Amino acid sequence: MRDEFIKLNYEIKSRDFINGGEASSCVKKALMQLGIKSAIIKRVCVACYEAEMNVVIHTLGGNMEVIIYNNKVEITMKDQGPGIGDIDLAMTEGYSTAPDEAREMGFGGGMGLPNIRKSSDEFYINSVLGEYTLVKIIINY
Amino acid sequence: MKEIYHSVKLVEENCIGCSRCMTKCPMEAIRLKNSKAVIYEEKCIDCGECIKVCQHNAHKADLDDIEAIKDFKVKVVIPSVTIYTQFGSYINPSLINEAVKSLGFDEVYDITYACDIVSEIIKKEIENTPKPVIGSFCPAVVRLIEVNYPTLIEHVIKVLTPIEVAASLIREKYAKLNYKPEDVGIFYITPCVSWITKVKNTALNRKSQINGAIPMSDIYPSLLKYVNKNKSSYTEKSTNMSYTGVLWAVSGGQCRSMEMDEFISVDGTKNVIKVLNDIENGKFSDVKYVEPYACDGGCVGGVLLVENPYNAKRIALNLNEHINFEYRFGGLSDGLKNKFTVENNINKNYDIKLADDFESAVKKMKYMNNIINSLPGNDCGQCGSPSCRAFAEDVVKGLSSLNECKFIR
Repeated sequence: MRDEFIKLNYEIKSRDFINGGEASSCVKKALMQLGIKSAIIKRVCVACYEAEMNVVIHTLGGNMEVIIYNNKVEITMKDQGPGIGDIDLAMTEGYSTAPDEAREMGFGGGMGLPNIRKSSDEFYINSVLGEYTLVKIIINY
Repeated sequence: MKEIYHSVKLVEENCIGCSRCMTKCPMEAIRLKNSKAVIYEEKCIDCGECIKVCQHNAHKADLDDIEAIKDFKVKVVIPSVTIYTQFGSYINPSLINEAVKSLGFDEVYDITYACDIVSEIIKKEIENTPKPVIGSFCPAVVRLIEVNYPTLIEHVIKVLTPIEVAASLIREKYAKLNYKPEDVGIFYITPCVSWITKVKNTALNRKSQINGAIPMSDIYPSLLKYVNKNKSSYTEKSTNMSYTGVLWAVSGGQCRSMEMDEFISVDGTKNVIKVLNDIENGKFSDVKYVEPYACDGGCVGGVLLVENPYNAKRIALNLNEHINFEYRFGGLSDGLKNKFTVENNINKNYDIKLADDFESAVKKMKYMNNIINSLPGNDCGQCGSPSCRAFAEDVVKGLSSLNECKFIR
């Protein structure tokens, strides 16, 4: 029964700062109900939240898929939006392209992607300028 | 799993099954079964919200009677700092202490001194704790963290509460005077129900043992009578309480007493939940200290208090004009710090997992998600659960049956 898993899907809306963070709260609850250890939950929370807020702040919206296995969590975030021109630059701590509106709310510190990478064991990012960004995060346990 | 005592109880004969408490409970810990409220104890944090919202006195706190003090040779009382805010406007704290003593106590212990000790310990201990550090002085919030935020346990400051510190100092003092521990009865006058739970659950710790929690509302009429009778003839004695200690009664007071700069003080369980969610998501790492209270306004919002919490706050803040304020706690010795620092004051006896092993939990979660998809999602509450999601979880746990939902597709 090694392929037992739970798949969760969330639609993330652009500019929805009010509900931003809801998806990561739901993922957290599911992880607790499945008996996943606290240290892992904490990393998943940070990764999910940052990925979610990235979509809220920068894109036209997207979809987050979370698959929870008995040895790892896989988070795949795909958005429609501007895409990232220079991924290496986007991965630099402190670099941000967040609009003023987001910065005024305390977001856009340029730590989103770096924090996601820090929280994950495997991190993949792929983007086509003007079309989409796809981020895949794996956290093992 | 160890059973945990809860102080909030249902008085079944008073319950009319109105569902008000079920919908207001911030923990979704209440259900309606056969038109009566039922508290699911593993989810309850004893915040007292159900007591506040029930109009039929169907939720009550399991309280100690003042008669209980008669069992002890020496009777010491620790009044909550909120007591000095409960008489409409300024009343000399010494007079209030006299009024408390007149109820039959031998000593009224000044808890503000213990608050100052704890402030000093926090200032040091904060360096050894991941940021933001979370204050541990509201037992309902500590329980909330135990139940729903196990990832944040390491952020909780590892220090005893002022009440425990006070009890411990009292026990030491009377031990030196050759009293046996069982001769000394220590009682806390509590503004809220979560403290009753805390006192009862730590009853076995002899060093800081508190023998009972007496609700402020029960003794209030006697205190008021004493205060009114004596206030005109009362000659102002200087009060040597600590003003910084008094501030612990109101939200933000702990941080002010510690002259903390980057802090968040948050009150009301739902607001505390918002802050804890954000901390869990990795926010606020630039915040030094979070001071959380389950009750609105801080401890002055306690369900067992009488005065309007916002007037109580005014009185607390104005007390510095009257108190002969002296910060009596200069240096903090390592010995004292170590004595009141605790390895872990968190109870890990909670578990919200659906099953012990991963495979069974996955099966149950799939079943639960299927149920959620067939429910209307309007959280009407007619099934007796506070939300459709809570109902699905109840069904999976065997606590409700599917046919209790009349709208299932």
